[in-house]
This record gives sequence, structure tokens and C-alpha cells, in this order.
Amino acid sequence: MSAAAAAAAAAATTAAYLARRAAQKQRVRILYRRALKDTLNWAVHRHLFYQDASDLRERFDANKNVEDLDTIDKMIAEGEASYNKWRHPDPYIVPWAPGGSKFTRNPTPPEGIEIIYDYGREDNA
Amino acid sequence: MAMRAAILRHIRIPVRSYALEFKPRELNLSGGSLMRFMSSHDEHLTKEEVVERVLSVVKSFPKVDPSAVTTDVHFQKDLGLDSLDNVEIVMALEEEFKLEIPDLEADKIDSTGLAIEYIYNHPMAG
Repeated sequence: MSAAAAAAAAAATTAAYLARRAAQKQRVRILYRRALKDTLNWAVHRHLFYQDASDLRERFDANKNVEDLDTIDKMIAEGEASYNKWRHPDPYIVPWAPGGSKFTRNPTPPEGIEIIYDYGREDNA
Repeated sequence: MAMRAAILRHIRIPVRSYALEFKPRELNLSGGSLMRFMSSHDEHLTKEEVVERVLSVVKSFPKVDPSAVTTDVHFQKDLGLDSLDNVEIVMALEEEFKLEIPDLEADKIDSTGLAIEYIYNHPMAG
């Protein structure tokens, strides 16, 4: 019993385990970020957004203490699937970002091009 | 007539010239009415504006103790926040400055110092 516990403790801190946990944590954070933005897209009004955001947070917090790596992976995959299902078709994107309304609207002119404003002045010198 | 002049002279208010309270801030001459930038690429935020706004956003986060927030506070270590709280703060900063931060970059913003630096160096920070 104690040997198994010791082996489990040894496995708990190997580099591979930690790397996998760190990758999972990053996936969770990015998933939470996207889900939060999506919640804002669906619930435009702030009071609705606050309620939906706290519901989302509670759903994430309920699974906070899961230890088994495979369960965590499965849960993250399920979360990403449900995020993909609920993505907003017309999300709010900041205007100057790709997909926004101001993106590449007025690109800076390429180097070396110069507009000479001579207003039709004739050069009869 | 002379009486009227005497009275007027008596109650005349002396003209005082008030020195203009004008504190020229480094780099920022806009002040709203002084200089108009005709392009959206000319004006940039000053560092103190960025710092002020970032700190006000972090202080108004409900799980944060406002007095503990300084310019170089780590969200998870010093303020005792969760990683999901970190995500929420970064989203709040994105909304405040009208930025769109890519996911991997946003994941790395861990403290107020990093946030201020990132926003100050962002060309489109509003």
C-alpha cells in the first residue's frame, strides 16, 4: 500500500507529468478566455453577461480539483467541443483587428511613392 | 457727474492676470483642445495614463484588495488570485483599452508590470 502510494507520489512530480499538467492548464485558460468572450458576444447586455459569466465560472470551478490526467483531458475535449458548438456567428471583433470593420481600411502607402501636388501648374520655364 | 465717476472709481475691481495653470506633460500635447491629431496613428497613450487606467481596472476587480495593487504586482502570487481570475483581468484590460490580444500572448500576462508594458508598447492601444 505504501509502496504504491510512494510510486504514485514519485510519478506525481516527474517532468512529463508536470509538463502535461501545465499544457492542460494552458488549454483550460485559453478555453475559459474564449468561452468568456463568446458569452459576451451572445449576451450583449452587461447584466446578462455578468450572470452568464458567473455561471460559466462556476462550471469551471466545479471541476477544479480533478487529479486524474485522462479525466482532465476528456473534460477539456468536451469543453472545447461545446465551445465550438456554441460559437457566435457574428462575434464582436475590435475594428482594427483581422475580421473587424477597420482592418486594412486605409493601409499605409508603400514606400517611395510620392504624390506631387502641383494643382495643374504649368511648367513653362 | 463727478459723484458718479468717484463712485465708479471707488468700486472698480482691479484686473488681476491669472497665470495659466499649464503643466506640459511629456509627449502629450493633445489635452483635448490644444492639438488635434487628424490621424488615428499619431497620438499614443502616455505611460502614466496607461498605469492609471490599468491600476483602476485591477482595483475594481471584486476579488482584489485595492490597497495591495501597485505597479508591479503579480496577480497570482501577490494578490492571491486564480488563473481564471487572471484570464478575467486580462479580458477586462482588453475591453478598457479596446485591444485584441492574441490568446497565447494574453496567457503570459501575469502581473501589472507586464500588462502596463504590453499595453504601452501596443500601437493600437486606446
